[in-house]
This record gives sequence, C-alpha cells and structure tokens, in this order.
Amino acid sequence: MERNAIIEKVSRTLIEASSTFSESKIKAYHNAVDTETNESSKWVMNTLCDNESAARLNGSPLCDDSGIPHLIVDIGSKRLLSGETLDAIYEGVREGLRRLPGRPMAVLGDDMQRIEQCAGLDSKSEAVVPTPLLLRYLSDEPETLRLTVLMQGGGPEIRAKTYRVFHNHSRKTVADEIVMWAKEAVSLLGCTPCTLAIGIGRSHYEASALMLQAMADGDYAKQNDFEREITQRVNETGVGALGLGGDYSVLASFVRVGPQRASGVRIVCMRPCCCFEPRRASVEL
Amino acid sequence: MKSIKTPLTVDDIISLKVGDMVSLSGRIFAGRDAVLPKVVKILTQKTPEQCGIYLEGSVIFHTAVSPAGLGPTSSNKAEIESTIPELSRLGVRLHLGKGALSPETIAALNRFGSVYAVVPPVTALLVSKTLTGRVAAFPEEGMEALHELDVVDYPIIIAAAHGSSIYDK
Repeated sequence: MERNAIIEKVSRTLIEASSTFSESKIKAYHNAVDTETNESSKWVMNTLCDNESAARLNGSPLCDDSGIPHLIVDIGSKRLLSGETLDAIYEGVREGLRRLPGRPMAVLGDDMQRIEQCAGLDSKSEAVVPTPLLLRYLSDEPETLRLTVLMQGGGPEIRAKTYRVFHNHSRKTVADEIVMWAKEAVSLLGCTPCTLAIGIGRSHYEASALMLQAMADGDYAKQNDFEREITQRVNETGVGALGLGGDYSVLASFVRVGPQRASGVRIVCMRPCCCFEPRRASVEL
Repeated sequence: MKSIKTPLTVDDIISLKVGDMVSLSGRIFAGRDAVLPKVVKILTQKTPEQCGIYLEGSVIFHTAVSPAGLGPTSSNKAEIESTIPELSRLGVRLHLGKGALSPETIAALNRFGSVYAVVPPVTALLVSKTLTGRVAAFPEEGMEALHELDVVDYPIIIAAAHGSSIYDK
C-alpha cells in the first residue's frame, strides 16, 4: 500500500476511534438506559448517547481529553511490516490528531522539566506522540496486516492499578481482589458508567499489554462468566452514571488472561475505562 | 426540564432543587485549577471595574477551552474546590463541573446563595451548543485562561443546593 494511502487510512481510523462508539457499545448503552431505575443516571446516559451522535456527525472528539494514542499492529506470516510502513503509520497518527483536532497536551522540556511540567506545552495537537506500539503475530491469519488505534484518557490512568495477586489456586481469590480494586476505582472515577479492562499475566509489562488487548478486542455482547461476575459485583456499589447513583456503574468487563507463571502469584492490571472508552477503531493495511 | 439564563437571580437560585435537570443558556465563564485562584486573588485586590471581571449572577464552568473542545474537570480538585466559597461570596451563583464536593463547600454554597451543578463530559454536544468564546482574563494560561462563553441549552443537573447534595447517600 502506498504511503499516502496508509496515512489517510490511519488518520481516519484515529478520528473514528475518537468520535464514535462501536455498535455493541451503543446497544449496551441503550439497554442500560432502558433498564436503569435512577432517573438522574438515565438522563446522563441519554446525554452521553446524544454526545456520541454529535461527535460522529462532526468527526470531533467525544471528550476534550482526546487521549494518548496507543497502537496495536496485528500481522500474519505472509505480510511485511517495514520501517517505511511504520513511518507512514506514525504520520497518519499525526495527521489524525491535526484533523480531529486532538487536545494539545504534549509537555515540553528535558526529562526533569517534563516531570515538573514547568517548560510549557506544545501548542500543536500532533505533538502528542503515541506510546510504543504493541505487535501481535496472527498464526491463523497469514494475509492480515491490521492496525488498531486506542485513545487513552487521563482519568482512567489515575484510577488504574497493576499489582500482584497471590491466587491461592482459586479464581475466586483473583476475582475478589479485582472487584475490591474496581469498587474503589469506579467510585472515584467520575466519568461512569465505565468498562473494566483487565489483563492477567506473568509480569507488569505483560499484564498491561493484556489489558490493552482486552480494550481492543472486548465485546459488550460477548461476556464470559468471569466478566459477568465482575460487572455484577461492582455494580452492587450503586455508584451509577457520573456517581449520581444507579444500577450501571459498569457496562461490561473485558478480561484477557495470558500465559501464567508456575508460582503463587498472578500480575493483574485493571483499568476502569471511562464512559467513552474504549475509544478504538481498526483498519486493514 | 427547567431553563435558566444568565445572569442568574436570587429567585433563579431559590427555585433550583437537587436533582433538577436544567437547560442553561447565556454568557458563562470557564476556568479551572490554574486560573480560578488567580481570579480570587485579583478580586480581593481590585474592583470588578478595575480588572474587568464581573461575577454577580455568573456561572463558572470548571473546564479548559482547547482546540479539542471543552468538558468538565473534577470540581473537587483542591485548587478548584477551595475557590468555590470565595467566588460564591463574590457573586458566582452557579458552579458547574463534576464530582462530589465536601460538606464544608456545600455549606458555603448555601451560606452565599449559590448552587453547584454537574454537566456530563459531553464535549461534542457542548461544542455544538457554544456559540462564541473569548479569553476574558489571564491569557498567559493558554487553554486554562479565564474564558467567557456564549452558550445555549447546556444540559446540567443540580448536584448541590440549599445545603443538600445529590451525592448524599
């Protein structure tokens, strides 16, 4: 594929991720609105859906915290990913941020200045650089080269947690820990109802990567027993939309379980994604 | 749904109750942690005429105004919530943001005849309902400067009024 075509596709994908809900998320919201018993929360969720319609119409951000781009590349055995292709992908991200436009929130300065945020911000939306990309090999899709763009907001990052859990050879022990973390995080998140993204792996890096994949691949219409259990237990808090009380603090849970270490510990990453997340879209390259 | 328009009157505030879903229109201010303490400080040193900031009957929306749009930040951040009592005393009748406020702040709102409302973080919708915007003060703060916006039909819900809060369990 030519460079300009990749740039255009990636740009459009970033805008789609930033300005639309997936079809299954729209259905999840409609179901929640129909069954919510708290009138304030029902009103909030209706307003969130109206916002999605306005953002979709204009290709504009769902939230003014337009987020940090996170990229996942899925590749099959018969495809090549060259430096030229990567360069075009990164240019597509910059073009998408320009056109959206993204919030100009790149912090200027050297290492210490960036920590202290004392040298100001770059005024250009496209100065927000993506995080290092995640590469997945698809053994059963040899012809695939697919990019997924996720836009990660700051609120969920404040409330997310990656830590070890001593499992005691019991899934219930792990679930109890996740639910305990999630109840606290959801009550403090502000922008609920949320979607819980959870990765369970052997290292902090792997658990975080699995959490990101859960955000990319999770489906509101396909929830396994473990996911349903977490959602139901966290919803018992009654936090509701925007913390106003109600039945839907969590719309769904997306859990990705990776390979596990032969030991008594599991590393769990739990991210309470806000009412607009996962902001995601994919494109075939 | 009730409709209110700035500048807000004492009767407007008296009529608002916790849980009311309200449509807000008129000119409002926008500012957050970087600028609100500065607004408080300058209005303790100068008159509104001297600094050009007139707060009587006003609304302050806790948001930045960036090319990506606008949306509420958490009003219970220390640098925002700590300004609410003094800004209420100076004439701000409605503080607009998100998140629960402390009982002390809710009492201060009641004491000065002001209310607090929550707006969902609906950036695209709010942009479509914001007619104009300008920097009103402290331009050096960039997107966190004090802005004045002309808005129509912002969807808000009254979260604290007359000593009560929607977050009370």
